[in-house]
Amino acid sequence: MKNQNFEIISIAEDTGGVKAAAPWIEAGKVEYTVLVDKQHVVTRLYNMVNVPTAVWINEQGRIVRPNEVAYSNNKGMSVTKVDTEPWINGLRDWVKNGEKSAFAMSEAELRERVKPQNPDWALASAEFGLAEYLYQAGQGEAAIPHYKEAQRLNPESWNFKRQAWALSSSKDKYGTTFTDEVKKLNGKPYYEPHRLPPVKK
Amino acid sequence: MKSWMYAMLVGLLFALSIQATETNKAVVVYDDKATEVGAAKLSPAKPNDLWITLADLKTATGFANKPQGVCRDELCFPLPKKRRAEFLQTQSKMTWFNLTEFARLLKQPVAQDAEHATWYFGLRPEVQNSYTNNFKAPNFTLPDKNGKLHSLSDFRGKKVLIVTWASW
Repeated sequence: MKNQNFEIISIAEDTGGVKAAAPWIEAGKVEYTVLVDKQHVVTRLYNMVNVPTAVWINEQGRIVRPNEVAYSNNKGMSVTKVDTEPWINGLRDWVKNGEKSAFAMSEAELRERVKPQNPDWALASAEFGLAEYLYQAGQGEAAIPHYKEAQRLNPESWNFKRQAWALSSSKDKYGTTFTDEVKKLNGKPYYEPHRLPPVKK
Repeated sequence: MKSWMYAMLVGLLFALSIQATETNKAVVVYDDKATEVGAAKLSPAKPNDLWITLADLKTATGFANKPQGVCRDELCFPLPKKRRAEFLQTQSKMTWFNLTEFARLLKQPVAQDAEHATWYFGLRPEVQNSYTNNFKAPNFTLPDKNGKLHSLSDFRGKKVLIVTWASW
């Protein structure tokens, strides 16, 4: 999808910063812009609750499709239960056709999907931000109650859970693991699938 | 009384008045920038409220107290006239500002760690919720792995796909 006035910005939401993200950056041999977001600025600014999350933005800087699941291929489909192929085709269609693409959302569709943040979620973000600050200031133990508070206030955020769990022994400190939590979903998809317009034949 | 004695007395009183406002070291994290400040407790009913000097306010947040309100560049938040004392108090010849009350006024979320005397001020609603009205993608500036900064706004004029991911 090159030479079509289209750019990809790939952002690592990693408290560990470049150190945590660098091996992934190298392994991907990516040609697009890769940024490192140690403080989860983008997660909090865009109310993202999971990774990978995509946002489509047009030439005027306006959101065309808000937060949605963004697997780049179907390799993990047995686990994710998300077929990403139609979404990637939709992306190609939008890059080619712009606002005329059926995948570019109308104002009404955007209104339905993008909601103002509720106060609990806003506070969850602040608790998470405080936890990040304490962790990066070398106060890992002190950060834990604030990570937990963020998780309690915004239980939908896998980002707040998984980042915190990854920074310490999650079984000891949080009484759970990512694998345990996924099992609890009982086969329900871990990440909400896309809601795409029907493909015209 | 001799003038030198008078001068000493004034000096002593001044020194005492400076000490009268007890301050502790605290850390304010505002817009994800951490600043060490001197914190005073001037609200007995709300002991966790953080009072800082106007100088610290400027350093930590960029905001300044002006006749039209508490302002940073074009952004200005007027203080409710009748509740002025809840925001501003003069003690020991210094003007103190209640940053916690200011956050309440703006409905800005605040997280606090008492043990580490750290206050984290979250995104103000006008930042957090701006795009839910106009769908303008919020701007951000982040480094690449070499430390070079990039902003979303640098990409204006192009279609952009943002994808977040993580190593965890």
